[in-house]
Amino acid sequence: MVAFMIDVRNLHPLEVRLLRFAEKDVDLTSEKIVEALGYKIGQCNQAFSWLSAKGFLAETSRRTAVLYELTELGKTQAEQGTPAMRIFNLLKGGKQMEITAIREALGLEQSDIGSAYGSLSKAGICGMTEDKKAFLKTEELPEFLKATDELLKKGINGALEESSLTDGEKALMAQISKKRGASGSPYKVSEREEVVYRITEEGLEAKKAVLEANITGEEIGVLTPQIISSGSWKNASFRPYGLDAPVSRLIPGRHNPYGNYIQWVKDKLTSLGFEEFDGPLVENEFWNGDALFMPQFHSARDIHDVYYVKDPVHCKEIEEPWLTNVARAHENGGDTGSRGWNYKFDHEFTRRQVLRSQGTVLSAHQLTKCKKPGKYFGVVRCFRYDEVDATHGADFYQTEGIVIGKEANLKELLGLLKMFATEIAGATDYKYVPGYFPFTEPSIEIHIKHPKLGWFELGGSGIFRPEVTKALGVDEPVLAWGLGIDRMALMNLGLSDIRDLFTPEIESVRTRRGN
Amino acid sequence: MPKFETSEKTFFDLLGRKCSDEELERIFPRAKAELDDHDTENHVLKIELNDTNRPDLWSAMGLTRLLRTYENPEKLPTFDFFSSSEFTADNKGRELHVGESVKEVRQYSCGFVATGKVVDDEILRTLIQSQEKLCWNFGRKRRSIAMGIYRNDLINYPIHYDGADPDKTHFVPLHMEEDLSLREILEKHPKGQEFGYIIKDAPVYPYLYDDKGNTLSMPPVINSAYVGAVEVGDSNLFVEMSGPGLRDILLCASIMACDMADMGFTIEPVKVVYPYETEFGKEITVPYYFQEPASCTLEEIKHVLGEDISADEAQEALLRMGVYSVVEGSKIFITCPEYRNDFLHPVDVVEDVMIGYGLENFEPEIPKDFTIGRLSPAEEFGRKVKDIMVGLGFQEMMYNYLGSKREYADNMNISTDGMIFIANPMSENFEVVRPSVLPSLLESEGSSQHAVYPHRIFEVGKTAHLEASDNSGTVTRNTLGFMLADNQAGFNDVNSLVNTLMYFLKKEYTLRTPGEDGRFIPGRCAEIVVEGKKVGIFGEIHPQVLENWGCAVPTVVCEIDLDSLL
Repeated sequence: MVAFMIDVRNLHPLEVRLLRFAEKDVDLTSEKIVEALGYKIGQCNQAFSWLSAKGFLAETSRRTAVLYELTELGKTQAEQGTPAMRIFNLLKGGKQMEITAIREALGLEQSDIGSAYGSLSKAGICGMTEDKKAFLKTEELPEFLKATDELLKKGINGALEESSLTDGEKALMAQISKKRGASGSPYKVSEREEVVYRITEEGLEAKKAVLEANITGEEIGVLTPQIISSGSWKNASFRPYGLDAPVSRLIPGRHNPYGNYIQWVKDKLTSLGFEEFDGPLVENEFWNGDALFMPQFHSARDIHDVYYVKDPVHCKEIEEPWLTNVARAHENGGDTGSRGWNYKFDHEFTRRQVLRSQGTVLSAHQLTKCKKPGKYFGVVRCFRYDEVDATHGADFYQTEGIVIGKEANLKELLGLLKMFATEIAGATDYKYVPGYFPFTEPSIEIHIKHPKLGWFELGGSGIFRPEVTKALGVDEPVLAWGLGIDRMALMNLGLSDIRDLFTPEIESVRTRRGN
Repeated sequence: MPKFETSEKTFFDLLGRKCSDEELERIFPRAKAELDDHDTENHVLKIELNDTNRPDLWSAMGLTRLLRTYENPEKLPTFDFFSSSEFTADNKGRELHVGESVKEVRQYSCGFVATGKVVDDEILRTLIQSQEKLCWNFGRKRRSIAMGIYRNDLINYPIHYDGADPDKTHFVPLHMEEDLSLREILEKHPKGQEFGYIIKDAPVYPYLYDDKGNTLSMPPVINSAYVGAVEVGDSNLFVEMSGPGLRDILLCASIMACDMADMGFTIEPVKVVYPYETEFGKEITVPYYFQEPASCTLEEIKHVLGEDISADEAQEALLRMGVYSVVEGSKIFITCPEYRNDFLHPVDVVEDVMIGYGLENFEPEIPKDFTIGRLSPAEEFGRKVKDIMVGLGFQEMMYNYLGSKREYADNMNISTDGMIFIANPMSENFEVVRPSVLPSLLESEGSSQHAVYPHRIFEVGKTAHLEASDNSGTVTRNTLGFMLADNQAGFNDVNSLVNTLMYFLKKEYTLRTPGEDGRFIPGRCAEIVVEGKKVGIFGEIHPQVLENWGCAVPTVVCEIDLDSLL
């Protein structure tokens, strides 16, 4: 049955040729295949294994064969003769030579000479003169040298099976072969499981199909430049590849998927007319809080909310006229139309350096140099004094921006938020809620309905307080907004732990896919 | 954000009707409130308030007052127990005398009496919660406002608030049985340990006691175990605030008085007598209305909200928010409610108009001004660099910017010179701002040995270090760092990579041998120089550094300051 499910065109050439060779009720052994098809033993075993798995061959019996194979040493000795044989040949004709001279003449190791001479001497073939010269006692080639030489030459054409040896050969073989560490012996002994196969009914079907399709196993496998240039492909056919084979893994160069998401948000914002801003990681209390009209005694400006720089503790100066304007806005409102926070502004505290804790800092900076009308945004790293856990990182990205324009008002702010909800979050359901931020009045949050997570806050926004804008030289209304894109990025990447966005694990980043 | 809990019964009784969670979620935004949790088993609502400038909303009384009024603006709540600069209520002889010597520690105190309602468990819990929220969030952990509630029946008026000798004055503090000196209380009592820092170094400590010498409390730390131990069953309470700012404690007293009136107490005033003139005179009868008038114009409303709102509509909207107003021409003058003091600017009035008018009644409009969108030059250049690195087969990584001295200095075999340390790190794992991308890359390598080699990774990100010439004494740079780790990786690989990168960035550069640098194998690193200026460094990481990071294969790295190539 299996045969009908297999396309014979997908058979490997090794399988094809073996199938074509196989006949009904005829034993197949690796020895036979090696001899008949010129396979290497490994190729032969592969072909047996593949065809058996397909049900085209069936095992009928198996036995263990003992094989003797020439080692490198054995091959050399088979060609040149054993050291004993070579000494015999050298001394033939009544020559007398010192041992060292024999060694030099034959280019052999001292130990080889020693044992070879020893065996000749023991067999009574060699003797030693009084002046330490070796000579032959008989010129006739001794039987044991001859037998050894013949046995070695027999192995030149391939491994010898034990069953093919005579009893004499077997005895001799036992002396010159070893199972392990055989490099010092001429023969290596190994055992091989020999299995006998026969072709099955399905195999015969397949063979028939192969013959009908005129598949020879000589089809081109790898297309080489030689095949192309020689034109030999013109009379050949190509072996097709199976489609169910496992594919190897590639490791490409890649952008970080979280980085991609941030780039996408930036591109969206520029397409909506926003210009990007950026700034340094180290800020001071002035820009980080004072310029945003957060009173210096505000509870969010505690030592436990912001990271302070150890050294330098203070920046050199705060730019004027912003310092004076902002200090007056805090103390009594200055020219901003406000009554201020009614306290004494601390001019030393304001210079204290911190790690930027909110992206709005850069919006404040931008006010001092903005175009009017103008739209700006930044996706910037901020630092918050928080225990690091699944929802809080030591540092994280905030997406913030401003819109400056004579006509900027609440209705435009709502329009802007709607644009973010639909364009960036892809939301169709959204709602506005009054919010609170120290630097905007009024303040609005936009909530969107996510198909899986339900309602959540997409962003906070508002119209900058005049205490913020007027003190920084802007008379026009300024819409300020921030978007929680981290949450959307997590959803996009299928993650739940914010720490994973910045994981150092290479494998994790390599395999991560965004939507 | 402050959160408070209330029983369903208290909340819905005060609101005047029962409603579903959905209904609460619909009406809560009027007060910038959110339903945080509804424990239906114990019948408790947990509510979060977003406006940190509206402490009057941080209780069931204050929140329901706004929600009630929003729906029934004709029933504007009124409180008849307030004195002001023009009217002084009868204090029935109850006085609180403030002394001269407390001025330097904690200058102001004030209080009032609440009576006629028997304190039960729920009331006691509510009062303690209000005290905590007001003093912790609004009162900056008792630094600017502390509150005490006492058993009025045990008090012999006048009450005295003055500085006292920390060692000679003593009393039995609440929740203890020992008679301790004021200084001992700071050392031994849990509240002393928690809040003692506010007064610890002063020559005298704030002390509140009655005319017979019975201790009420040591503000802002702890009540006495006798007069200061309010219990279920009490029905006559004295409520007191202290702090360094008069307006803060007066506002807090007003909020508490209005809340307790809403709970059913009768509020009776106490005259506070100062030995000197304050901004509201020498004698202030509390609760005291001190808020200044505020206003906005119809033009300002139109300007901010983008909608033509008539004077009538604006007045109606303000009334929903509990704000009474009068109109003169195009100007609307409001009377700030007794329990609020958040009208700093006309825009604050406008926001109340907005919420009262209903946010759903404003039609969104697409911003009309045309502006050109643009990426920053650093972003554009960074993208070019990233694309080249990706083309060279590198995986982009993104890392955190805070780390430890061990990672940035010790493991890298270099000193901490030029590194920016945090003065108040949360842990030593996050105490230095990243001076280089290389430690981040090596951390990846050290923790990724199971990942198939070769490892080719890079990051374009920020680094920061000290720079004396800058106003901040620091500089932040856009930096490229990349790393190749492989059995065969060597100097020639990174040299070729740098060459290819610089070719496509169109930057001519030369190489020179750097001075001693513990990160690299001596003789196998190079500085990249563009127009005579060092812009980067690359080479083979020293085996000692590899060992420090737990890396097992040869690793080459490169770091380039992108800002100097811009």
